[in-house]
Amino acid sequence: MRYRRQEAGTALLFLAPALVLFAAFVVYPIVYNVQASTLRWDGVNVGQFVGLGNYKELLEDPVFVTTLRNSAWWILLTIAPQAIIGFLLAVALNRRLRGRAVYRAIFFIPAILSPVVVGIVWQRILDPFNGVVASVGRLTGIDVLTQPWLSDPSTAIFAAIFVNVWMWTGFSMLFYLAGLQLIDTSVIEAARIDGATGLQLMARILWPLLRNTHLSLLLLGVIGSLKTFELVYVLTEGGPNHASEMLPTYTFKQAFQLQSVGYASTISVVLLVVAVVSSLSMVRAFGSGFLTGDET
Amino acid sequence: MVRSSKRYVGIAAGAALAVGLSACAGGSTDESEGSASGTGGASTVTFRSWSPIEQTTAQMVKAFTDENAGTSIDATVFNYPEYLVDLQTRASSNTMPDIVGLQPGALTQQYRDKLMPLQQCASDTWGSDWQSKFYPIGIEQARMGNPDGDENFYALPLLVQTVNLWGNSEIFEDKGVTAPTTWEELESVVKKLSGESYAPFMLPAKDSWLRNVVFLQIANNIEPGLVYQAEDGTDSWTNPRIVEAFEYWSKLFTDGIAQKGAIGLDAYPSGANQFEAGNAAMIPLGAWWIQQSDPSREDLPPLSEGMAGYEPFLFPTIPGGASEAQYVGGIDVALGISKDSANPDLACKVLTDWIAGAGAQKLVNTFNDLPAVTGMNPETFTSDKQQEMWAMFTEDWMPKVQWSRYLESPKVDTALGDALAGVATGDLTPQQAAEKVQSAQDAAS
Repeated sequence: MRYRRQEAGTALLFLAPALVLFAAFVVYPIVYNVQASTLRWDGVNVGQFVGLGNYKELLEDPVFVTTLRNSAWWILLTIAPQAIIGFLLAVALNRRLRGRAVYRAIFFIPAILSPVVVGIVWQRILDPFNGVVASVGRLTGIDVLTQPWLSDPSTAIFAAIFVNVWMWTGFSMLFYLAGLQLIDTSVIEAARIDGATGLQLMARILWPLLRNTHLSLLLLGVIGSLKTFELVYVLTEGGPNHASEMLPTYTFKQAFQLQSVGYASTISVVLLVVAVVSSLSMVRAFGSGFLTGDET
Repeated sequence: MVRSSKRYVGIAAGAALAVGLSACAGGSTDESEGSASGTGGASTVTFRSWSPIEQTTAQMVKAFTDENAGTSIDATVFNYPEYLVDLQTRASSNTMPDIVGLQPGALTQQYRDKLMPLQQCASDTWGSDWQSKFYPIGIEQARMGNPDGDENFYALPLLVQTVNLWGNSEIFEDKGVTAPTTWEELESVVKKLSGESYAPFMLPAKDSWLRNVVFLQIANNIEPGLVYQAEDGTDSWTNPRIVEAFEYWSKLFTDGIAQKGAIGLDAYPSGANQFEAGNAAMIPLGAWWIQQSDPSREDLPPLSEGMAGYEPFLFPTIPGGASEAQYVGGIDVALGISKDSANPDLACKVLTDWIAGAGAQKLVNTFNDLPAVTGMNPETFTSDKQQEMWAMFTEDWMPKVQWSRYLESPKVDTALGDALAGVATGDLTPQQAAEKVQSAQDAAS
């Protein structure tokens, strides 16, 4: 009994640094945020307790509804295209190909650029007055290219999603390349001997064997979508008229432009709940093997 | 093992709770617990702001420390959004810098309780008639939003500005047109300049601040001062004259005055770069555009050389509105001193030096914007044209600025920006836009 207590004490000492950091940098901000969400507070002066008032207000806030809808679009329209295009690029660049390292680097470069730079560049590319896309449209007579994609409320969010896909597809490609290189080549050779065509090989052998990569990308994609800030802020500032607003951009505006830190904390709490629930749901649905690396 | 795990979880939760209880959100900070602001010693003050830019701030710091041996200034300049985050975090953790950059109205009011009244500092430095040194709009805006009866100055203006239009002189000359002074002339000039590779009227309307200042110029040209009456509750945003201002804003888009996709173009860097590259004949910006020909800049684009290619003019008058274009503007950046500054005397000395001393001269030399005090001029101009423009801004326009480029409440200001975006995209009619701003006004008051 004494030995077990000693053992537990030792274990606790080993765990202590991590527990302290976890408490200080994860648990404390969450507790603080939840508490702040019950206040009408500007972040500087004394707040006024409003209970669940901010939550009630949030449910009636049409911009909040827009942010939820945009997050749903973002998740749907970024994860699948990034995965499919990334997978196809990875398969193509996993073969012996002259200059494949250069191609890999080219496709990956957007992922390491600052979203601010990407935002400014694409804003100019998509500028309907003087941008490259509109100029090509006018020269070729393709009217659709001259549309004000970022300034039309009905298309702004989709234009931002398109830029996001362009930016992050190389990241998915890198994940799939790593996954492909872990696949036993004898499995692929066996499939070829059995007469599998290239398409069959991709669809029935490689794709299923990359399950953990798909799930990791899915999890990262969902969390990344919910956290999206810089790209949208630079491209559209969440506009026009909140049409491309995301939860983090709206949180930032409320906290620092409208001096409503209490309300912004409420949005953050909702964001946290959505992120935790979606992550846990995925782990529950697919098992935790894709996170731990264990086969499931 | 399960029991041990539970115990560890319990310890973590306990630690979190303890930390949480020790520093709650929204509470007042016990002054006795907090340390005095500023991190330097007795001869050091800290300064944080988003403006002036870093290189200019460094020159101002050097000018002050050269004249005041043994002192030092720890200065950090951020971009504006980052600065707001930094300031809020520092203010709520009692680590506020000695001197802070502020905007008049909501931002100054948010930090009012943490700022030192500055009239004593001003009076000690400049004498009892110190207010007469400043442009009237700067003095008025410095106290914007103060509670009734509170006559303190929690911030003093450092730089001021007008908001106005700029024209491309080369295009105007080439097409034989002059800067429009009336709405009809604006329409006619835009028509004459259409069909070229440049935008006749480039409106970078992605930014809420720019939408608002253009609207305020329109609204004041229709019925001077009415929007401020709507904001203080003595009139209404749904007043037909304000609705008319929304209609004229709408016309910029529906009548093809603004370029296609205007609501997606930001003022900086895109709009400004395009104007400087000669891709626009007119653009709404402000007096600060004169810095395009800052003497320290090299390899200037041809239009910016000595401001050769630019000319400022006021927003055209509106049919049935004021007979003369109105001057809209105000404080660009103001400075405040933390109430808890460890060295308020030195902070005061720095602040007043930067507003009207050797540091201010360095600032003015860069044409960053217009000085808040009258009578300060750059030591070097890049051309006679720039000197004439400077004289016009500082001697003719700035003293006449009567209407603020800001609204007092950030919520109403944001609601106005949103409403203008809604009108621009066709989501809202002018009447609906006015009603939306009025709703925000009702909620905020």
